[in-house]
This record gives sequence, C-alpha cells and structure tokens, in this order.
Amino acid sequence: MRLALSKAMMSLAMGCLGESRREWAFAMQGEFEAAVEEGRPLAFATGCLMAAWREMPRHPEGRLALTSHALALGLLIPMAALQFACAIGFPSAPQGSGLIHGMLAAGWTQAPYLVSAQQSAVPALLFLRLLLGAGQLRLAWVLLERDWAQAFNIGALIAAVMVTLFLFMEVLFLNGLVLILQVAVLAIELSAVLVAARSHAQLSLDAAPEILA
Amino acid sequence: MPRNRRPSKQMLTLLEALAARAQHWRHGYDLMKETGLSSGTLYPLLLRMTEQGLIEAEWREPAQPGRPARHTYRLTNAGIALARAAERPVAVPVSKVAIA
Repeated sequence: MRLALSKAMMSLAMGCLGESRREWAFAMQGEFEAAVEEGRPLAFATGCLMAAWREMPRHPEGRLALTSHALALGLLIPMAALQFACAIGFPSAPQGSGLIHGMLAAGWTQAPYLVSAQQSAVPALLFLRLLLGAGQLRLAWVLLERDWAQAFNIGALIAAVMVTLFLFMEVLFLNGLVLILQVAVLAIELSAVLVAARSHAQLSLDAAPEILA
Repeated sequence: MPRNRRPSKQMLTLLEALAARAQHWRHGYDLMKETGLSSGTLYPLLLRMTEQGLIEAEWREPAQPGRPARHTYRLTNAGIALARAAERPVAVPVSKVAIA
C-alpha cells in the first residue's frame, strides 16, 4: 500500500515537472529505486512531489497548468453551478442572477396577459439554463485536457445558447438585463480559454525544435 | 541580471559534501543521506546549482539490469571555487563565482 502510494506520488511529481524538467523527473525516478531499497519510498516521493509543486510556477508549462486549473475551479465550475441554481431554483441563488421562478413572477406582474405564453416557455428556459451549466462543466474538463478543438466548439455552443436565452427572454417580455453580468463573465471565460490555447500553442512551438533536435 | 545572493545553509551543506570528494560523481540518494537534506530540498538545489554552472550532471548506466539509469553529480570548477570561498569567513556571492 505504501509503495503503491509512493509510486502514484512519483508519477504525479513527474507529471507536474513537465517537458522542460523531464530530465530532472527521470533523475528523481532513478533515485526512487534506491529509496525503495532503503525502505523510505514514501518520504522520498513526498519530497519529490513537494519539489515538483514548488517548481511549477517557475516554468511556462507549470504556469499554464496552474492557470488552467484556477480558471476551471475558480470560474467555470462556479458559473456552471450558478446556471444549475438558476434553473432548479436553489434558494441560495443570488438575487438578480436570472432565477427562472423569480423572473416569471416579475413577468406575470408586469404583463399578466402573457402568463400562459411564459408558462409554456418554462421547459425551454430550463433546458437552455441546464445546457449552459453542462456546457461550462464540459468546457472546464476539456480545458484541463487541453483539447482546444473541443473547447472552441463548446465555447461557440455556450455563446449561442446565451444569445438564444437572451432573445427568448426578450420575446417573452422577461427582463433579459439580468443576464448582462453573466454575459460579461462568459466573455472573460472564453477570452481566458483563448489565451490558454495560444499559450499552449506557443509552448508546443518552442518545444518543437528541441524534439526535432 | 544575476542576483548577488549568499549561498543558503542547505547549499553550503551540499557544497561541503560534494567538495569532500570533488572529482567523484555522486548519486542523489547518497547525497541525501550524507547531507540529511530531504528530496524536496535536494533536487531543487541541484537543479538551481546546475543552472548556475556550479554542478555538472551525467547519466550513468544502472548497476543491475532492469533498473533505471541514474543521474550523478559533481562540482564544476566554479562550484569548487565557491566551496573553497565558502570555507573562508567572508562568503563570496554565487553569481560572481559562477561568472568567474
């Protein structure tokens, strides 16, 4: 069990060091065998993992990995949670975030003659909100996988869904302005994904001459 | 622009261990045992010192078949000069010795 855990930690450490520190990763891996023979694999692997984590901000690939994780965990997943909260109507959803029940109640007060039309639109609104949430979760996943083709497709889908939602709400005389903040956050998200894709492409270009050599 | 920094305590310990047998190639794990430094301290230190030109590294074939190759280390001339300077009461900044 200890050995398996140590090996897993060594694999993680090697992954964190990235291509630019590949030689050092193999150097650590080579010494790991000596640590196993001495009966101290866990302490050795823990040290290597800590060193690899500390090293991450110092090389471009590590910085890209940290930025991608921060973007996924700090922005994309919370935004997806917000979309689900708005769709399902969690009480914790912030006021003015486009909570569907609240929007409909306000719409019914302002335009009572549209109640039946707005009620019939609820499934479509729910579907669009859930699609936005699922799209952002998927975007977080492909961002970490660095699958940029998928990321651009999902980004385009999310943008299209957001525009559709906005138009749909305007047609139904619901207050579409509540989406403005979310549109702004979405623009930031998609710009950040684009920057991450460009950084990754640049890293690949920089690494290409070394691979060819 | 290189920074004029005094060698850290861990770096001095490593320099001392490597300078004791300056011409010998040493394995990382042996250096860990000799200096008492953890792998989390030793490897970043070896990496920095190699980048500063104080240490040279070389791959060695494994002693037993089926084992991975091992990295070995020894001081460069700049590293030996820094180790000697560090033995004196007034320490010489790393960058000056590395440039020399």
